[in-house]
Amino acid sequence: MATSAALNHDDNVGNAKNHASVVADSSAAAGASFLQLISIADGFSLSAGGDLSGQLYERLSGLNNASVDGLLFLKKKWALGAFAPWTRLGVSIGRTDYADRYRDATLYRASLEAGKRLDERWNFWAKYEFERRRAAPVEYNTYLYGVSSDVFSQQGRSFKAGAEYQLSERISLALGSLLRHGDVVATSRAGSSIYAYPKALAPDPTFGAGAYAYRLAGTTFGARLGVDYSLTAHSLIGCGFQRLETHAQGGNNYTDSVSDLTWIYRF
Amino acid sequence: MKNLFATLGIVLACASAHAAELRVAVIDHKGRNVADAVVLAVAVDARNALHSHPPRDAIDQVDKQFVPFVKPVFVGSTVRFPNSDNIRHQVYSFSAPKKFELPLYAGTDAPPVVFDKPGVVVLGCNIHDWMIGYIYVSETPFFAKTGPLGTVSITDMPAGEYTVRIWHPNMDRAEETTSRRLTVSAEAPASAEWQISLKPSIHVPRVSGSASPSYP
Repeated sequence: MATSAALNHDDNVGNAKNHASVVADSSAAAGASFLQLISIADGFSLSAGGDLSGQLYERLSGLNNASVDGLLFLKKKWALGAFAPWTRLGVSIGRTDYADRYRDATLYRASLEAGKRLDERWNFWAKYEFERRRAAPVEYNTYLYGVSSDVFSQQGRSFKAGAEYQLSERISLALGSLLRHGDVVATSRAGSSIYAYPKALAPDPTFGAGAYAYRLAGTTFGARLGVDYSLTAHSLIGCGFQRLETHAQGGNNYTDSVSDLTWIYRF
Repeated sequence: MKNLFATLGIVLACASAHAAELRVAVIDHKGRNVADAVVLAVAVDARNALHSHPPRDAIDQVDKQFVPFVKPVFVGSTVRFPNSDNIRHQVYSFSAPKKFELPLYAGTDAPPVVFDKPGVVVLGCNIHDWMIGYIYVSETPFFAKTGPLGTVSITDMPAGEYTVRIWHPNMDRAEETTSRRLTVSAEAPASAEWQISLKPSIHVPRVSGSASPSYP
């Protein structure tokens, strides 16, 4: 079982390209996860459990949300010991309810991970994930271009890879990278020509009157650098900075920077 | 029967009369007390290297940690690995003095392990990679481990000359380089202090950052 709390700042919450549409905001999040590990055969283990989490935004209160996830992992450790390579298959089903209910969604994920710890200092891992988000089409009265209003239903595939380095007894560094291809949702002011060909479009009053959410196909490149400090054998605090760059349909390229401060306690 | 008790009494009296004590303090290069340092005294005179029956010892698993972290045992000892956690553990060692693996178990189900070669045995758990523990298998019956104050007493030693050395899991040099010749007498305890340099204790972390695909 683990609990966590985090403070985040996102300089482009709505993934907008145009400066006038960019909205920055900070949020506080808390979560708890419970996983029961069951060893099923030599080197194989099954973990089942769930996550509960919530997030509160400073300005964009419509994005305040609560989530519940069910998780199932099948892990294979290919040898004995802490430095043995491992692979893990995971599936999860989650539900996120927002203060602005039109964003509510059910999230399905399937992932394949692999990792290897080289020694006490170096740890490497990689993860491929397929995600599908199902939301109800947004209901609104104004007819907009005859385009679907199912803007918050998305799917995508991502590849992540990371390395961790134990710098000292208490301090570790983490470097992560991301490549994601699939649907992205960008919220901007109405009439932006770059959004001429969205897959779906709907008003997004969370970001104010006149804001519209557009679902587009895009590819995101990301990198994250983090530093963690062990407080006790059970807990740490960490901070990180993540930079994302998305190249989306119609030349809608945007960037997003997220900084975070996290506390984790593992029982 | 009377003769037997008389003989036993004489033996005990002689043993008591010749029993000596060695008190050792271990500090690090910054002058801080060093806990979990194993102090070993090897009798120079082989006649003083008394052999007792190897005892039975135990290393528990509590809160997904080995308890104690360091356990010195006499060569030939049998060690049990009870599991006080409410989850199963899979204890193993790759160390040359004793390679072994205890398949997943809970409670006291694991068979005991005999440590019949001297040296350092590093313990791990295949489920919880951060778990690490040490068994020091001593070739001499005169050994002890320092407590939180960095001190320890080895008692009931025959008076005489000993080669004393120190081992610690984070020591930055070989234990042989710490060897000293000391004389212990029955009249008064012998005292000695060691200063050792310790490396940073870099272990697999129990808690990883938010971006890490950590346990399980």
